[in-house]
Amino acid sequence: ASLDDPGEVREGFLCPLCLKDLQSFYQLHSHYEEEHSGEDRDVKGQIKSLVQKAKKAKDRLLKREGDDRAESGTQGYESFSYGGVDPYMWEPQELGAVRSHLSDFKKHRAARIDHYVVEVNKLIIRLEKLTAFDRTNTESAKIRAIEKSVVPWVNDQDVPFCPDCGNKFSIRNRRHHCRLCGSIMCKKCMELISLPLANKLTSASKESLSTHTSPSQSPNSVHGSRRGSISSMSSVSSVLDEKDDDRIRCCTHCKDTLLKREQQIDEKEHTPDIVKLYEKLRLCMEKVDQKAPEYIRMAASLNAGETTYSLEHASDLRVEVQKVYELIDALSKKILTLGLNQDPPPHPSNLRLQRMIRYSATLFVQEKLLGLMSLPTKEQFEELKKKRKEEMERKRAVERQAALESQRRLEERQSGLASRAANGEVASLRRGPAPLRKAEGWLPLSGGQGQSEDSDPLLQQIHNITSFIRQAKAAGRMDEVRTLQENLRQLQDEYDQQQTEKAIELSRRQAEEEDLQREQLQMLRERELEREREQFRVASLHTRTRSLDFREIGPFQLEPSREPRTHLAYALDLGSSPVPSSTAPKTPSLSSTQPTRVWSGPPAVGQERLPQSSMPQQHEGPSLNPFDEEDLSSPMEEATTGPPAAGVSLDPSARILKEYNPFEEEDEEEEAVAGNPFIQPDSPAPNPFSEEDEHPQQRLSSPLVPGNPFEEPTCINPFEMDSDSGPEAEEPIEEELLLQQIDNIKAYIFDAKQCGRLDEVEVLTENLRELKHTLAKQKGGTD
Amino acid sequence: MNVVFAVKQYISKMIEDSGPGMKVLLMDKETTGIVSMVYTQSEILQKEVYLFERIDSQNREIMKHLKAICFLRPTKENVDYIIQELRRPKYTIYFIYFSNVISKSDVKSLAEADEQEVVAEVQEFYGDYIAVNPHLFSLNILGCCQGRNWDPAQLSRTTQGLTALLLSLKKCPMIRYQLSSEAAKRLAECVKQVITKEYELFEFRRTEVPPLLLILDRCDDAITPLLNQWTYQAMVHELLGINNNRIDLSRVPGISKDLREVVLSAENDEFYANNMYLNFAEIGSNIKNLMEDFQKKKPKEQQKLESIADMKAFVENYPQFKKMSGTVSKHVTVVGELSRLVSERNLLEVSEVEQELACQNDHSSALQNIKRLLQNPKVTEFDAARLVMLYALHYERHSSNSLPGLMMDLRNKGVSEKYRKLVSAVVEYGGKRVRGSDLFSPKDAVAITKQFLKGLKGVENVYTQHQPFLHETLDHLIKGRLKENLYPYLGPSTLRDRPQDIIVFVIGGATYEEALTVYNLNRTTPGVRIVLGGTTVHNTKSFLEEVLASGLHSRSKESSQVTSRSASRR
Repeated sequence: ASLDDPGEVREGFLCPLCLKDLQSFYQLHSHYEEEHSGEDRDVKGQIKSLVQKAKKAKDRLLKREGDDRAESGTQGYESFSYGGVDPYMWEPQELGAVRSHLSDFKKHRAARIDHYVVEVNKLIIRLEKLTAFDRTNTESAKIRAIEKSVVPWVNDQDVPFCPDCGNKFSIRNRRHHCRLCGSIMCKKCMELISLPLANKLTSASKESLSTHTSPSQSPNSVHGSRRGSISSMSSVSSVLDEKDDDRIRCCTHCKDTLLKREQQIDEKEHTPDIVKLYEKLRLCMEKVDQKAPEYIRMAASLNAGETTYSLEHASDLRVEVQKVYELIDALSKKILTLGLNQDPPPHPSNLRLQRMIRYSATLFVQEKLLGLMSLPTKEQFEELKKKRKEEMERKRAVERQAALESQRRLEERQSGLASRAANGEVASLRRGPAPLRKAEGWLPLSGGQGQSEDSDPLLQQIHNITSFIRQAKAAGRMDEVRTLQENLRQLQDEYDQQQTEKAIELSRRQAEEEDLQREQLQMLRERELEREREQFRVASLHTRTRSLDFREIGPFQLEPSREPRTHLAYALDLGSSPVPSSTAPKTPSLSSTQPTRVWSGPPAVGQERLPQSSMPQQHEGPSLNPFDEEDLSSPMEEATTGPPAAGVSLDPSARILKEYNPFEEEDEEEEAVAGNPFIQPDSPAPNPFSEEDEHPQQRLSSPLVPGNPFEEPTCINPFEMDSDSGPEAEEPIEEELLLQQIDNIKAYIFDAKQCGRLDEVEVLTENLRELKHTLAKQKGGTD
Repeated sequence: MNVVFAVKQYISKMIEDSGPGMKVLLMDKETTGIVSMVYTQSEILQKEVYLFERIDSQNREIMKHLKAICFLRPTKENVDYIIQELRRPKYTIYFIYFSNVISKSDVKSLAEADEQEVVAEVQEFYGDYIAVNPHLFSLNILGCCQGRNWDPAQLSRTTQGLTALLLSLKKCPMIRYQLSSEAAKRLAECVKQVITKEYELFEFRRTEVPPLLLILDRCDDAITPLLNQWTYQAMVHELLGINNNRIDLSRVPGISKDLREVVLSAENDEFYANNMYLNFAEIGSNIKNLMEDFQKKKPKEQQKLESIADMKAFVENYPQFKKMSGTVSKHVTVVGELSRLVSERNLLEVSEVEQELACQNDHSSALQNIKRLLQNPKVTEFDAARLVMLYALHYERHSSNSLPGLMMDLRNKGVSEKYRKLVSAVVEYGGKRVRGSDLFSPKDAVAITKQFLKGLKGVENVYTQHQPFLHETLDHLIKGRLKENLYPYLGPSTLRDRPQDIIVFVIGGATYEEALTVYNLNRTTPGVRIVLGGTTVHNTKSFLEEVLASGLHSRSKESSQVTSRSASRR
């Protein structure tokens, strides 16, 4: 009723009963429930309808919003792909239909296998009976009696011919009985089982009677190869001059079955070397997959001048990862050369397997190792840290002002504190630099309560967790570290929030006092009294605002690299500009006739015509192979490559093409790998890179013969240098970097050599030499 | 609906299911091709598959430390091979996957051979076709028909391939076929039969609009495979030939050893993926850009790396450079060879006349142009013959048809009898008598106005004005206007709504030009997904072989008068 009040028109979520302005629909609702629940039902009904109306309106609004979004979405899509969908973009489908025949298969197999197993077991049981007594000290007649009792012998009269070879039995060609199944054969077809073999078979069966029926346990056997049964074979040859008291006569069928069984027993116990090595290799690869991301995270953070991780940890990890790489390389090399010196040499497909394992390990190392970024040196790191600190300082200053301003604003407006604080948070999420402000801006404040710091339970917890992290790191449990870090981050968020609230409270009362405090704090911090605290504060910050940090650090990281690129571009311009002009005159007919009459039509065609006309100039020279041009522009390359230069300019493609060609025999390439003089199978040095790189230097660049004093530093681990180079601190930054670059280049040389790209090796070696020279010069200067 | 992905998923699943450890992949000739289309060696190496062996290869070593994944077509020979293998197993454990339906009795004989219990898995994974592009598949069958009817062996292979495709995409379609082709009807029936028989397999979640399988016959459009192509993929196939993504460059003059054979696969060659549907001119400029990019990254010897910064830049760029160099040399060689052939064979001029023959109706001008080109010594006998074929197809019943004169010209030019005979064979294969619809003169008003307008505007690009007949067919199909008297449904039920998921299959082979058309239709039509397949993917050369294999020319009657002089022995 009061809504009809003409005197005053008000908007918003007004309570229909008391006309109180409530900020939102929900507040109104709860207000009504609390304040007016006891009042007249009639009115309540009225209100209800009102509320429902409002609800409907709201729904409509929301719905429209949703529709709008959907519409704009499809519009964007349409403009992207003209309404349809590029087949490459079709949403991924589930796995196609499949049908399993396994149960059927197993049913049929079980029926068959049961029969087979029974047969084998029968034979083994009989064998056991036959060997249960001491054969050598028993009379032949007695043996015969026992043998006859084990299995009923077939009647001699029933078998006039040998069932295996078909020869007629006679006085000369006597009948022999198989002791295992009782059947008859001639002497030629008779086989013998030696006692050791019999014992082996029976004892193995006793050990694991059940293995036979479980398919998972390598149930193998091979008819053709009979390794492992040499003893029984030799016994056959000596059968003539010995009486077979210590052997058991049997037919070929029973013998075959038993040999199969023996094979199975052998293979169950036997693991070939390659499997052992391969398992180790896979373990290493897993380790890399586990550690490398961790290291990359560390290196990225350190290179950005952050202090989340310690430099030593990172370099330790780097060394560790590199060692694993070396191990992978060494292991795969070992696999490659397995059995090469054996006689007879291994089967070609075994060799192929070894080569492929080696190849995939090389691919793995190439892919992962080249992604391993280098670390800053100590000095560099200090500099980075300083830079970052300055940056932070500047930002903090800006933020402090912003914070001050907002505080002033806060003071001006006494009401709506809570909602505004929330707004402030939202804003900070939305704007780019805001997350920084949240933590950094209030840093001095929290420091201001320095004394009470440790009494704050949150802070205590934070301390605890940081120490946990340190311990976990030391223990190498990276996943734990990660969860802990997550915890830490949450805690710090919480803490920051607390601090923010406190700060707001404080600022309202003592804005001036605060200014003073801040100045003090500034000084304090500069003295790095709060160093530890700051460290993990920054740490939390990194995880939260990493992307931001990258953006800030980016520019000065890029600075050095930008310059050489332009250099390169210049060099290119110089190198390549004469080329088109030299080829162009050779194709006058093409370029003059084609474009004019051919691609005629609307303006769109003009675009087509341009490339068409320029293209032939570039490529339709007499050779048509643009690589010739390349060669022209870099004649030096060919000249220096020497004998293998034939087709060298196209060489780089070889590897990649092959790679795309999965089912081709890879012999050529593999030969190249195998024949690579730098892979020495018996090389004792575990480090593939340093070891192999000495050689190209000696071979390709004659000035650097052994005994060259400049070669020394290559053998030295760059991280060992850290301690050594401490005193000679003139230009250690450069040196560290140089060493790292040398490391990298060596990796590339190794890589290029793997693919047989000699021209690259050449270039790289040249670079390497250059680098070492510089290094040596520096060393000479400092020493 | 992505066929490449469908096959790849199957292969990945096989490898995953076999668990960790060294593996060997045992395949037959066909499955080797199927796998190589979707997986590169380095990709598959990462999954611990180190050896690839053919099941029929005799000198495989016993390697008990390997797990064997067998991916085989369920043929009689393969079943025999695997029975032998199981009797004397060479590997620890066997995971057996058949690329199609295998009979219960075969499963039984396999089971009985497995006395050593080395088999851990027997499944059907329906990757029984060559996935060329996401929307294009092939069965690599050349010469599927004898005369107008199926070669029975090829019919069963095609049925298997097509049903495997449906299963791998989980589609149970309604079927329409081209009425004018007996072969299309036969295939439709065979597919239907399999669907009925294996109804359990084809029970998929029902979609609102059921998918549609449209079966066409190449003879309805013999023009498209006779034309020179100007988009990258189609052009490479036409001029160099693509076989399972591989291109044989061994005949290219002065080719280096490493580039004798190159692989063009959109799956792992970014440049190719971005350029395969662009025309030759655009590729020219893109190649140039690629080269320039590459040159920028190439380490130069004269460029002394003097400062640390130089070094750093070099080191950062090195891996990219390495990756690029392979792509660059490959594409530069291919495009170089294409442009060499274009100029050597005078293909621009030839193609212009081809397009005129295919798209316009000016008889006298066309005749004049052909005659002029036949005089040109640069035009090869192959191109000369194809021009006459196009003429013969288009102006077959024209009042002033002068095919005999052109045949004389061919003879005078020294074109071999093989090609001259093929002219009549092609007409027999795809002439007016055979065609169910009109290739050259559109009948309905809309199409006529369209052509009229096109004539007014002028053509945007003379070399690519031809639209395959398939475009019109699919366009009508999508709009629900494809005539039922020409393309009837198999069975009583018909589709009430416009189709959404369409599978088109061309008996006698599709072409890359049609693949491009389908690609564009996919991109421009909302809500529609089309997959194109064929018994093979043709270029002109393979199409002519197909025509030859069908053996039609030996029974030619109508065109005998026309070609009596050339086809002396018939």
